[in-house]
Amino acid sequence: MPTTPDSIAANADERLPPRMVAWLFGIAGTAVALLAWIVLSRLLAHGGGVINRLPGPLAVVRELVQYAGNDLVHDLLASLHVFAIGWIVGAASAALVGLVLGRAQHLGNIFLPIVEAIRPVSSIAWVPLSIVWFGFGLTSKVFLVGLAVFLVVVVYAVDGSRRVPHDLERTATMLGMSGWQRFRSLVLPGTLSEVLIGSRVALMSGWGTVIVAELVAADSGLGAHLIGVEQSYDVPAVMATMICFAVTGFAMNTAFTFAERRLLPWRHDREREDR
Amino acid sequence: MNGPGRLVVRRILLPLAGVACVLAFWQATLSWYRLPPIVLPSPWAVATTLAELVRTVAFWRDVGVSLFEFVCGYLIGVVLGVALGLLMGEWRHFRMAATPAVESLRFVVPFAWIPLTILWFGTSYVGKVLLVAYAVFFVMVVSTTRAVAQVEPTLSRVGTMLGMNPWRLAWQVHLRAAAPMLASAARAAAAIGWIAVVAAEYIGASAGLGLMITNAATSLTTSVVIGGMIVIGIVGAGVSAAIGALSRAWLDYR
Repeated sequence: MPTTPDSIAANADERLPPRMVAWLFGIAGTAVALLAWIVLSRLLAHGGGVINRLPGPLAVVRELVQYAGNDLVHDLLASLHVFAIGWIVGAASAALVGLVLGRAQHLGNIFLPIVEAIRPVSSIAWVPLSIVWFGFGLTSKVFLVGLAVFLVVVVYAVDGSRRVPHDLERTATMLGMSGWQRFRSLVLPGTLSEVLIGSRVALMSGWGTVIVAELVAADSGLGAHLIGVEQSYDVPAVMATMICFAVTGFAMNTAFTFAERRLLPWRHDREREDR
Repeated sequence: MNGPGRLVVRRILLPLAGVACVLAFWQATLSWYRLPPIVLPSPWAVATTLAELVRTVAFWRDVGVSLFEFVCGYLIGVVLGVALGLLMGEWRHFRMAATPAVESLRFVVPFAWIPLTILWFGTSYVGKVLLVAYAVFFVMVVSTTRAVAQVEPTLSRVGTMLGMNPWRLAWQVHLRAAAPMLASAARAAAAIGWIAVVAAEYIGASAGLGLMITNAATSLTTSVVIGGMIVIGIVGAGVSAAIGALSRAWLDYR
């Protein structure tokens, strides 16, 4: 019996449940990727002088364990602190602004184009200005993260405040609801659920902004550690810190997606179709 | 008022009023708090600074360097990303094998790579080009895989019936059917790639727009910082518009 990869695959497909096959291939692919990394690190190690250009996975893991026993928790909490404040402030102000600009038509016509003009200028471009304004420290980073989150969420908030289903609107009129009642039971829930979705989408751009702000300001948090080990040419430590950033981002994304599924089960199906 | 007249008011006059409001607020804040130009220069000062900047050679060199790094990295990232995405979309077992690696690398955001690119490539172009390529690559891989997987199955069956082999089917049917989704992904990728260049230049560069505004920030010439931000925004919008126009011209069979 020939043992080419395809024939193994075909056999495996017949015998095993599909999830298992996906797992097996996933593990095999990861193993191949790790092997490629090890081979590359053997080839490239000590490429230019004393610096270990590409450490192997083991060296990175060792560094990660060492960092975890030292300052990791402290740095991570500092970064998360900045992130959490900025994220909440950004999402809350975006909800407020989006609600006002989305519902008050004239204000929307006047100020939405300005929001649209600022949006393409990513929050990253504000880093130097924010340092001039607020110096190094918590305020400037919170401002940057808040801005990043605001720019994403405000679109969702405007959208949510405007998109009240037509038949609900008519039902509300038929029931003789007052303006305030209509706002509380139609507009507000719609807007807030969109804001929740937007805040999840904004997680990654907010987290990316934390990274850049900390790399530039380099006074506290994971980013400051990253710059510190970079300046001592410690490549394994740099890679270990990158992994910390990635794992944190992944964890936040997973947690929030899970929470969103619980809070807005009806939106989840639509999201999946949109993708 | 008639239809088109109202449209003019809504689309042009009201936004202009908004801009005027913001400028007036900006100027009023300045005069009220007597802020020094180091903290916040007046709108007029920013405008004159920009006008002076565009007359200098150094400015155009910075813009050129940033754009060069962006365009090289973008092309590499799009080509490799679409290629790998197509492979992942077509070949189920390869998709299963590659997904864990792609998904975990996707969470290592491009910004986190900046210090490593500086260690590996110094402040040269190469690091930024690779950084942009990396940023663009993952956007394109994910959206190409998704777009190819969503192609109408009837199209594939028609192709098979016409005697196409899998390569031709992938290249001539699936990629074309996925093209509109790829075009919008390419625009999103451009925005991410452009900002990755700027961020990389903040931290280690010998020229470029990011370096220009960090230098201006450390020497507290705030009008140059704000002017530079405006330029970054305009270039970003221009790049995005150019890619939109290119993809529309390319996709006009729709």
